[in-house]
Amino acid sequence: MYTRQKGVMMLIIMLMIALSAGMNPVETKAQNKVVLQFMGWEASPFETEGVMNGLKHFMELNPDIEVKYIAGRWAEHHTKLLTMMAGGAAPDVFFLGAEPFYREFQKRGVLLDITSYFNSEFKISDFIPMDRQKMVINGRIYGVSSCVVAPVLYYNKELFNKAGVSYPSANPEEAWTWEKFLEAAKKLTVKEGDRTIQFGVYGLETYPIPFIWSNGGDIFNKNYSECILPESPKAKEALVKILDLRNKYGVSPDAFYLTNVGMSPNQMLQTGKIGMLVDGSWALQELARMKFPVGVGVLPKFKTPVTHGTAHLHAIWKGTKHPKEAWRLVSFLSSEEYQLYFVRDGLWMPNRMYLYTKDGIKKWLNPSVHPAGFEEIADYFTKYLRPHPAIFIPQEAWDIVNEELDKFWHADQPIDKVAQEMAQRVNPILKTK
Amino acid sequence: MSVFRRGSSLGIKSIAYSDTFWAFVLLSPNLLGFLIFMLFPMIASFGLSFTEYDLLTPMKWVGIKNYQQLWLDQTFWKSLWNTIYYTVGTVPIGVAISLLLAIALNQKILGIRFFRGAYFLPVITSAVAVGIVWQWLYNPDFGLFNYLLRLIDIRGPNWLTSTKWAMPAVILVSIWKGLGFNMIIFLAGLQEIPDVYYEAAEIDGANRFAKFLYITLPLLTPTTLFVVVMSIISSFQSFDLIYIMTRGGPARSTSVLVYYLYQCAFEYFKMGYGSAIAYVLFLLVFVATLIQFRFSRHWIIY
Repeated sequence: MYTRQKGVMMLIIMLMIALSAGMNPVETKAQNKVVLQFMGWEASPFETEGVMNGLKHFMELNPDIEVKYIAGRWAEHHTKLLTMMAGGAAPDVFFLGAEPFYREFQKRGVLLDITSYFNSEFKISDFIPMDRQKMVINGRIYGVSSCVVAPVLYYNKELFNKAGVSYPSANPEEAWTWEKFLEAAKKLTVKEGDRTIQFGVYGLETYPIPFIWSNGGDIFNKNYSECILPESPKAKEALVKILDLRNKYGVSPDAFYLTNVGMSPNQMLQTGKIGMLVDGSWALQELARMKFPVGVGVLPKFKTPVTHGTAHLHAIWKGTKHPKEAWRLVSFLSSEEYQLYFVRDGLWMPNRMYLYTKDGIKKWLNPSVHPAGFEEIADYFTKYLRPHPAIFIPQEAWDIVNEELDKFWHADQPIDKVAQEMAQRVNPILKTK
Repeated sequence: MSVFRRGSSLGIKSIAYSDTFWAFVLLSPNLLGFLIFMLFPMIASFGLSFTEYDLLTPMKWVGIKNYQQLWLDQTFWKSLWNTIYYTVGTVPIGVAISLLLAIALNQKILGIRFFRGAYFLPVITSAVAVGIVWQWLYNPDFGLFNYLLRLIDIRGPNWLTSTKWAMPAVILVSIWKGLGFNMIIFLAGLQEIPDVYYEAAEIDGANRFAKFLYITLPLLTPTTLFVVVMSIISSFQSFDLIYIMTRGGPARSTSVLVYYLYQCAFEYFKMGYGSAIAYVLFLLVFVATLIQFRFSRHWIIY
């Protein structure tokens, strides 16, 4: 009896194996249609929707290509890409973070060199200078910049009116000096007893680099081979002045280590918890929808107006079987039409010189998103924008920079000690990059 | 010819009817999974720990260089220290509270199922959801904790953004999240203890405390050993809550070994180095478990 059961069981198992072998999904690929895998991350549902609409349009224009879009989480995007490439099954086209993955992947020879494709359709001189520095590696191009985003100064006009403070300008030539900025921040700080219920400003500790540059200092030398913070008194001075906003003057709340702790900075600005906010230009998309009078200005300056830019690139895997079709997709993603869809909604800023001319601005300026006078910010993006330092150094080094700066922001360590530690730890990594 | 055929068919037949063969066949899904997804990667990563490998370019044999570098890597030492801090902070308190909870929930009181369920709920809740909700609770300006502290005139710390408080804050969440699991195991252990012992003790005039001390605790020692060993292993491997809540920060104050290992392997393009950390971690867990089993002889009562 027992043995017969076993025999039956074996038959069943064999049947199952046979069936599962025969159940391979049948590829129902239309003839001559090239299927491209395209992988991105979801920054917001709006962005994904925009990408999907764009791809739909692309497939209408290119009936011989079918694009399959996979949107994951940003935090895992590059890890996933890395393992997919290692397994020889990477998507043909993908988003690639500029800091630092574009150069890290390129260095390892997994990106398709698209220089000749690019030159046949685009002119690198059309791109804003910052993007040229980002995209071109040793004279070659391995990815096309999607757009540009940079920290700017947002403010709640209502709080400004109440405090009787004039608005900061969007024109970089009229950028507030540090003194004027500090004065405004003080006026915008409201106390109830000894508890502050409204702070002047938030966000400088998240984006300290532009202020270091503005004061004529730097954390790294020009070619990013060395950390020079210990020998840059101007950089240290800027950092101390930023910390003073919170520690000495009490006009800034404690920086949340993660932006998603509790209320988002945007919500703090909207609900009048802070008067000014330093955040990426992308935040305008959300801020414009939050139904409060939001204004945008350039960052305050010490000596020169400056901010740092970045944004993801669209790149092609070297192992793709369809380089030509993949390029057509990247070319479409680099088109003015595709870019301006996101620009008009406040998420992106354009990365072409001509889109910052008087006529160019008309193509995207959207009164329901961009506050009055926003067009004056044009020069900020064409003249005063520098590439984000993390574009040029390995992630590990950038993490150490932030870790050491955290000790300065949050653990009361003196700036000189922090600078020494930082250089000592970062320099060996920069040397081997 | 015919003999040959008969022999071979007999061979197949005897295999098909042998118990060992069937044991392996029916175990094979699990066994294959273990071999392919556990044993092989474990061996491979041991090999990788002697190489420089970024997944994209060919690997380079570097001998014990990774291990030598570990010795000099202050981030590694800090992460190791944080791991020990986390374990010492989580395990003793977590085990003690879950034991007390188990005893409390072993009574015949109204709504006992509800309470057991309530305490078990965090265990099955995803770490992501838990992490995000607790981030809100910890918010220094608008969070619940600092609100409560303000009521009694204490200025609460900036929980997750302070290098001093971030780790205790994470420890608290992880104790809360792990309570239910240990509690269920303790409950099972408690219900194993025969009533006759308690009855005998009562006849001898033992009070509640004496019964707990002389009956419950000793008879629960095998369960306790299991709970302690499992808790220590899992706290050495902690990753998810920290990944969600602090990303190892601020200033690496919550960076534990597994988090640093993940960063090295997948963010810093140092798969070999990450593997070396994994093996140091393995060794630590192994030694810690060995020591516990050694010492358990002195306090376990079977």
